Amino acid sequence: MTRDRLLDLAGTAVRLGLATVWLVSGGLKIADPIGTTVAVDAYDVLPDGAVLVVASVLPPLEVALGLLLLAGAGTRLAALVSGLLLLGFIAGLVQAWARGLSIDCGCFGGGGPVAAGEERYLSSLLRDLGFLALAVWLSVRPRTLAAVDGIRRGGDDGPARGTDDDAREPGRTERTS
Amino acid sequence: MAQSERERRQAAQARLQAAGITPPKKGGPSRGLVLGGVVLAVALLAGLYTAWQNQRGEDVEPTYAVARDGAVVTAGDPAAPVKVDVYEDYLCPACAQFERLYGGEITGALNEGRAVVRYHTIAILDDRSNPPGYSTRAGNAALCAVDAGIYPAYHSRLYTDQPREGAAGRTVEELAALGSELGATGDFTGCVTAQGQTQAVTDATNAAAADPVAAPGGRLATPTVVVNGATVDLNDSGWLSNAIG
Repeated sequence: MTRDRLLDLAGTAVRLGLATVWLVSGGLKIADPIGTTVAVDAYDVLPDGAVLVVASVLPPLEVALGLLLLAGAGTRLAALVSGLLLLGFIAGLVQAWARGLSIDCGCFGGGGPVAAGEERYLSSLLRDLGFLALAVWLSVRPRTLAAVDGIRRGGDDGPARGTDDDAREPGRTERTS
Repeated sequence: MAQSERERRQAAQARLQAAGITPPKKGGPSRGLVLGGVVLAVALLAGLYTAWQNQRGEDVEPTYAVARDGAVVTAGDPAAPVKVDVYEDYLCPACAQFERLYGGEITGALNEGRAVVRYHTIAILDDRSNPPGYSTRAGNAALCAVDAGIYPAYHSRLYTDQPREGAAGRTVEELAALGSELGATGDFTGCVTAQGQTQAVTDATNAAAADPVAAPGGRLATPTVVVNGATVDLNDSGWLSNAIG
């Protein structure tokens, strides 16, 4: 098996892994809108009106990212948005930790204030950084197997390819000339 | 020797170029990118729509009657067909979100006499403020607000400006000042300062905890909402409209 093929395979696992993360976390949030609003509010960064907007937008957005990654459609876009979202979560966690707020991250539903000493900032942070690594991989190398992105118009001789065209074609053509 | 995908494609490109053939470049973004953009946009719009739906109706002016029996406040026409029991603690963050999400809808139903709500003043989070006791203190003040004729506005204000868990919460003086600001009649300040409803709040809390419907297995959580004798799932956004029909 070639190195490219191995990377494709690894990328596929990364893609499906990140898809699972979003589907689970988004699904749990959709099932518990009150809990989600409490969790967003507990970070104590957003004005009142924005809390509700963020708490309403987050669940469908996470599920949408999960579905796109599951199907491998617009993988690079979904990965970039995932990365931005995760950076936002990480920033929220870090500021809550730095300010000494006693909250649960609410990453997978639940969340909100907890008793002092019951915060788990470090583990939440490490987990989010791990997810961020998955998103970065797919942003840099979105090519995976069994992806909608790989189904090419007019047919192609190659295996499934997950890159967005504009990001890939120019460099390659130059190298060959 | 195995050739990598990249090398193979490069070789093919080179052969085409050598033959003077320029492979046509595909125009526009890929199908995946378009699909991705559309799906994300739809999700975003769905979220914004939900937010908009939840935010509207917040400005309904309460016109319903309010009475109280101990620490249980009856809002609306007691003869209304749909009986709702709401168990809330003034320090409970989920109660604040419950009020934010459904407060307007409840006010509308009470105004129109389609439902009656019995607000049970619960204090189970007294130890979550520092110093302890905010739940009971705020509960006392809210009950004084019934007598002062400002319960709907006061109740709502205690939730929109809710103190954080772990914070001190409003002092007696601040609770009294809030009442004056909202137009309390009679000796509101004296009532709040006396904290004379503490026993009633404790009784209501114990009664709720002993109620098998509101507190299954003796575990009372807030907010708990009981409609016509059965608890409802507050994450079903249609819990009230379904009951009203």
